[in-house]
Amino acid sequence: MTAMIKLIEAALLFAAGYLFTHRALPWLYVKAGERLGFDMKLAPHWEKRIARFKTIKRGYYSFLIVTTLFVMSLFLEFMVNNKPLFIRYNSTVAFPAAAEWLDGLLFFKAPRPMDRKADYGQIGDDQVDYRLFAAARRDPAVFDEQLKTLAGELDAIRAQLVKKPGPKATAEERQDYQDLQDIVPAIEADMKTLSDAKAVFAAGKASVLMPVYPYSPREHLLDMPGRPPHRPGASHLLGTDDSGADVFAQLVYGFRISMSFALIVSFTGYVIGIIVGGVMGYFGGWTDILIQRFIEIWSSIPFLFMMIIIAAIIQPTFLLLVSLIVLLQGWVGISYYIRGEFYREKSRDYVHAAVAMGASEWSVMMKHILPNSLVPLVTFAPFNVVGTIGSLVSLDYLGFGMPVGTPSWGALLDQGMKYLKYYPHLILTPSIAMAVTLFMVVMIGEAVREAFDPKVFSRLR
Amino acid sequence: MNGMTTYFLRRLLLIPVTFIAITFLVYAILRVVPGGPIEQAQLQIKMAMMGEGGGGGMASAQAELQIPASAMEELKKYYHLDKSIPEGYARWLWGIVRLDFGRSYVYSEPVLDVIVSKFPISIYFGLIGYFASWLICVPLGVSKALRHKTGYDTATSVLVFVGYAIPGFVACLILMVLLGGGSYLDVLPLGGFRSENWAELGFFARISDQLQHTAIPVIGYVMGGFATMTILMKNSLLDNLGADYVRTAFAKGLSERRVVFVHAMRNSLIPLTVGIGHALGLLFAGSFLIEKTCNIPGMGLLSFNSVIQRDYPVILGTLVFLVLIRLTGNIFSDMIWAMIDPRIRFGK
Repeated sequence: MTAMIKLIEAALLFAAGYLFTHRALPWLYVKAGERLGFDMKLAPHWEKRIARFKTIKRGYYSFLIVTTLFVMSLFLEFMVNNKPLFIRYNSTVAFPAAAEWLDGLLFFKAPRPMDRKADYGQIGDDQVDYRLFAAARRDPAVFDEQLKTLAGELDAIRAQLVKKPGPKATAEERQDYQDLQDIVPAIEADMKTLSDAKAVFAAGKASVLMPVYPYSPREHLLDMPGRPPHRPGASHLLGTDDSGADVFAQLVYGFRISMSFALIVSFTGYVIGIIVGGVMGYFGGWTDILIQRFIEIWSSIPFLFMMIIIAAIIQPTFLLLVSLIVLLQGWVGISYYIRGEFYREKSRDYVHAAVAMGASEWSVMMKHILPNSLVPLVTFAPFNVVGTIGSLVSLDYLGFGMPVGTPSWGALLDQGMKYLKYYPHLILTPSIAMAVTLFMVVMIGEAVREAFDPKVFSRLR
Repeated sequence: MNGMTTYFLRRLLLIPVTFIAITFLVYAILRVVPGGPIEQAQLQIKMAMMGEGGGGGMASAQAELQIPASAMEELKKYYHLDKSIPEGYARWLWGIVRLDFGRSYVYSEPVLDVIVSKFPISIYFGLIGYFASWLICVPLGVSKALRHKTGYDTATSVLVFVGYAIPGFVACLILMVLLGGGSYLDVLPLGGFRSENWAELGFFARISDQLQHTAIPVIGYVMGGFATMTILMKNSLLDNLGADYVRTAFAKGLSERRVVFVHAMRNSLIPLTVGIGHALGLLFAGSFLIEKTCNIPGMGLLSFNSVIQRDYPVILGTLVFLVLIRLTGNIFSDMIWAMIDPRIRFGK
């Protein structure tokens, strides 16, 4: 029953994500462009290409699913998190999930202080256990149970206190007795907190709204029965890893990191590759030869080897990893494509016309030639994303990728190696997540290639 | 001298330049960054002295634990780190020229011996993987081309895309879980080159043991180039089947079988040979990821471990082999290409 509800919730979330990504965002984009005075109509040949892409169903649907999931994953804190969307206790009202999301977005700002247990009717001084809060909201019997255990403890201690240390007792025994005596008021205070909280809950002054999947990827669930890793089960869809972190939560956060990583790397690589390749193709001559020699040397650097040496020395961060992969690998392939395109295009009439009208070299390159050389770039992009995700997973797997503790597919695979015999889910789940994601991206790539660069084979028989 | 010879000569001349540029870059990085052999030795000495001190105040112990300057000098001399970076590099390069790669810090053996002992293992897996991928990809590509746009083509395309989406080492991991982990099946060993009791096995037991250890890594190697090779084969055959000479062959009244397998096939295989240079690199250097995953003690695992253990002479030694094989491999495959396809003219 609860599983059904969760499934319906997930489906509704996906539908909302789809509407947002493919209805609201494009509409906003066009409207904003029009308001700013741009002509937002696509060129007819691009319209034709996109129409052709839409007819290739497998690629188009993969595109819809992957983009929707990616945009949704940018709001993961609201869907997969151990912090509630909204919590109210007495007069305190907070939005912890939104706060965490904002902290991630405004990474330069000091993060919000955590919610303390004492402020939410829980015992202790650390972070509130929101799931316990939600459980108590559903069923106040939680309090009775806790109160009962505390009362039991108290009784046990009182029973021990009956026996006072005699005059012959050692200093140590006296100290123990003193300690026991000191605990009593603490337990009594805890019991008072609990019964107060129970009253607040009973008066309906507490409410909470947890995310659909109430676990965070960085949270170590050590109070579960048995020792981690745990096999997949009802409360943890795909089990936990050996530090007690939920695997499903890690996979979805890993999806977000991998995709954004790949997109950023591809984009920056494209920018550098376009500039370098454009300069090579447009100017030609010695510039071309010199840069070619340089690229020849640069591309013979064994990529993975170099990455490992550097990462073994400096613990990479997200940005450092992005820049390293872009510098070592990301721009080279693209620059060759662009070089060829620019070489061919620069002798066309429209380029001569632009030059004759006094356009600067930069504007000839970027405004006139580049839009006519976009097709190979667009068709190449999905495969670029696949390759980059592969590199990231390999690096994480070898232990030279993202900082330790970052949810990642590669790190899970590495753990899976250790528990290969007993916990196969640690290998199978990230592999399947990766394979499905990359498969869909490859499908997009295939469809884009077929739509943008159609090739008709004729054969006799 | 014709254009092509000059072209290849020029490229051969570029090899030393590239080689020096890359090795110098890595050498300089290794020298500049912390965590080198000196720091490692320092750490070890400190640990040992701390152990002796036993129970003394931590703060005072740390203050006293300065390695004497003379000992530092000796350490630096031992590791050849007392020279400036250019001088040290020049000495190292001179050593390489005389085939003296230095001694491994970890194995305390000459680096060349370590590398040579690992080479055959990588070549074994690399060669088998390379031939296996030809044996799988060429027939698959041909059959896809002949049945272009049919249900068979679509179904195998799904297979190819899945192959493209899963990196080789992940495929190895999945297979190890499914076939060797015991959770599902327990028929293949979990990595390694041979079983530990290899010496006691009989002749046939040895063959079966070796085959069992070979299966999973080879599938990983094949997965690496599976998609690209199959699609390349398919597209190049389709290209050729649309060409005029194929029309002529059909017009002569040749059977389809003959036209496809004798006339078109020969030309369609040419693009596949372009990958030989890259395959050479893989063959000799092994793949980091697959060798680590399957625990194969080859070149890839050696270079990986040397980085982890900061075994500088071995890092540089494996780098020398990796770069040389790659550079010569690229030229070599272009030469082969020019040889089998007379239409190719390098250097105009």
